[in-house]
Amino acid sequence: MWGKKSKKNKESKGTAIFPIKIDTLEQILSDKFEKNPDLKFSHYKIFDTNVAVFFIDYQIDVDKFQNSLLDPLVNFEINQEKLTNQNLLNELPLNSGSVYEDLESILSNLIIGEVFIYIEGEKKALGYQLPMKESRSLEKAETESLVLGPKISFTESLSKNLNIIRWIIKSTDLVMEEFKIGKVSPKDVRLVYMKSIANEVDVQTMRQRLKEVDTDQVEDAIILKQYLEDSQTNFFPQFDITERPDRFTYNVLQGKLGVLVENSPAGFTAPATLFSFLESTEDLYMRWQGGTFYRLLRFFAMFFSIIIAPTYVAALSYQYAIIPTQLLITIGQSRAAVPFPPIFEVLLLEFMLELLREAGARLPTKVGQTMGIVGGIVIGQAAVEAGLTSNILIILVAMSALASFVTPSYLFGTSIRLVRFPLIILAGFFGLIGIVFGITLLIIHVTRLTSLGRPYLVPLYPLRLKDFNKVFFRTPFSHNNKRARSYRPKILKRYSEKDASKIRDIDE
Amino acid sequence: MEINLKVKPGNQIQAFYLFFIITSLQIGVGIIGAPRFIYMEAGRDSWLSILISLVYICILVMCMFYILNQYENTDYFGIQVDIFGKWLGKLLGTIIILHFGFSFFSILLTYIEVIQLFIYHALPNLLIAILIMILVLYTVFGGIRVIVGITFLLFLSTFWLLLVLYDPILRVNWLNLLPIFQTSFTDLLKGSRATSYTLTGFEILMVIYPFIQNKEKAKLPVFLGLIYTTIMLLIVTIISIGYFSPEGLKSIDWALLILYKSASFTFIERLDYIVVTVWLMVILPNLALSLWVMSYGMKRLYKVPQKITLWIITILILIIVNFFQYDYQISDMTNFVGKYGFWITYVYPFILLPIVLVKKRRKKDKGSDTT
Repeated sequence: MWGKKSKKNKESKGTAIFPIKIDTLEQILSDKFEKNPDLKFSHYKIFDTNVAVFFIDYQIDVDKFQNSLLDPLVNFEINQEKLTNQNLLNELPLNSGSVYEDLESILSNLIIGEVFIYIEGEKKALGYQLPMKESRSLEKAETESLVLGPKISFTESLSKNLNIIRWIIKSTDLVMEEFKIGKVSPKDVRLVYMKSIANEVDVQTMRQRLKEVDTDQVEDAIILKQYLEDSQTNFFPQFDITERPDRFTYNVLQGKLGVLVENSPAGFTAPATLFSFLESTEDLYMRWQGGTFYRLLRFFAMFFSIIIAPTYVAALSYQYAIIPTQLLITIGQSRAAVPFPPIFEVLLLEFMLELLREAGARLPTKVGQTMGIVGGIVIGQAAVEAGLTSNILIILVAMSALASFVTPSYLFGTSIRLVRFPLIILAGFFGLIGIVFGITLLIIHVTRLTSLGRPYLVPLYPLRLKDFNKVFFRTPFSHNNKRARSYRPKILKRYSEKDASKIRDIDE
Repeated sequence: MEINLKVKPGNQIQAFYLFFIITSLQIGVGIIGAPRFIYMEAGRDSWLSILISLVYICILVMCMFYILNQYENTDYFGIQVDIFGKWLGKLLGTIIILHFGFSFFSILLTYIEVIQLFIYHALPNLLIAILIMILVLYTVFGGIRVIVGITFLLFLSTFWLLLVLYDPILRVNWLNLLPIFQTSFTDLLKGSRATSYTLTGFEILMVIYPFIQNKEKAKLPVFLGLIYTTIMLLIVTIISIGYFSPEGLKSIDWALLILYKSASFTFIERLDYIVVTVWLMVILPNLALSLWVMSYGMKRLYKVPQKITLWIITILILIIVNFFQYDYQISDMTNFVGKYGFWITYVYPFILLPIVLVKKRRKKDKGSDTT
């Protein structure tokens, strides 16, 4: 996966074919584009000079081509000048012209929407970029929808995404370094950070990693993220992927690095911590009490979601003494008709729920709604009446599923849901000690993780008490005037605390 | 062998974590059964014995710091080789490693016995040992920073165990603690001696010291850690005496776990089950740190790669653990560790100190002669 790119990126001096007869040029091109009927090659005779214009028709903006390139070219005689490359560059009302000598670069630029003009007898061919790139228009964020705050989401077009970010961070400090990744089909990748804030070491590390990626092509930002992460074998996402520009820019302004990939409706920010997946920008839009409450709620939900089904299994299989008598009677009654051991019962129900979730995600929205109703009835009623599961378990499993969906990051939510299954099995084999074993293993696993070389559990370990108000709860902005120390930004202060928390006398 | 160590900045730890390292190593399985042993010796004045131990340990740790400050940046292994020469120094170093090995083993066995008695009567030793060793190995393979991290995180996540003791506290009959000052001084000292197995662990200071980043701040967390552990032991002992009555305590092996039996909530009963299982989190840092000392010591002394030592020790433990089937074997083992560990932990530093000072003086004289 991590090949080193050969440093000797030779300046490949391709075959210089010019000057050439236009008919021969057409022959060469049609040989190269065999069985590709899309290459348009047209001859013109202007001033007794043979001129060829060639392009791929669906890759270019036809209107622009017609008005700004073809019309002036054909009417060139009006100026009474000799038709040369230089004169054409001067005359045509387009700013993206450049000259090419070798066949390879002509071919590779043809496919990304350049129009070429070749004047017979010239040593070079003239190329104009008139690309037309189809992309979705900007839409509302769907996977990370919020009640408050901006609704816009990234789209597949890199230039649109960069445009959005530039308009949010109107600062000359904002850097967007360009990288090309992929050997077969190179893609534009941008490393976005604030020059004056982002940690230099982090930038260097990320740059290094981006340069070292050696792959034929990256399909999406999420895939590039997996190439770049510190450890590929472990369970949790290490970079924070998001489709919301506000979340992206908030992180960039806090001193993190962002990465955007062409054709990907999401960007990711690094370094991330375990807790950053539980943060939502909505915490900031709400007042601090609400923000704190919902952030804590998410932490609790994560814990609850992991622990509840395994505890049911452990308690009913082995340590039923931990359940108080009243509750035990209720559970016993509801489980009386169920013929399976608890572990099987739980796995069955969790499996059904995962099926429902997956089916809901794959189906079109209209059918998806019906799925929900069907699932609700099947799971809610029929399963109990058929004696497959107990009522109480349904409540518990539904609650734990709900709890796993409150995580703002979909990827992280998936990790949480996956973690449950080994824990349920451990609980089925060893009871409570199995759960404690599993949880401890998880804690060790998370402690060992790093994200861009920084500890995954910061600010909990290594302990930085002053960052707690950015991670575990929120304080009013008058007490929140510094960036998180955990990521070691160059500038810590955001605004003066003195002015923010100035106490005024009554009636002043 | 290099006497002074150079530790990479990436492996250094903040002095503040020493608090958690010291307390985690001290609180292992010892505290579960300690009240009975202390009470057998010192009676109602057990609390006095514990305080005497605290004073003694504080003096001991000061002495340790004094020894460590004579050198630039070194540990037990380096000091011993420096003082006693290559052969004797390495032999003594090996004894230190063995000491940690034995205490590791006694903790593991005692915990296995607790699990078998409280929860799973038929679960074989090997299976529990494998589960625990997976956790310990996974931690130690992460290196010193992960070990310290686990120590810290598990300390936080098991802290609530202390709060549950509110229930037995409410039920204590305080009259059981009266009359005070009845025990003779020799019995008090014997009582202090009975705390030794529980309170060992702070000797890791002599091994982990080179890894501390800000050494000038190291003293406070260490002493706070010692005080914290002692207060824990004090609370548990006093509650046990008050709760079980003097006669009852004599026949109760694991007083602390039984104390948890009385607490119950509307959503949970029999908290002792949970406490016994969560106790795995309490002993894990202890085991991980001990195992790390062993592997690290072998690297220091004999240049054996840490990974090899870890695998060998793991295989040895998984074999030996099968031979301990009965209660008396385990308590014999624990007694052995307590006795042998007493001399290493509580007496040896006082012997080492004058030798270090003499050696230092002599070196200084030599140095002034030549210059």
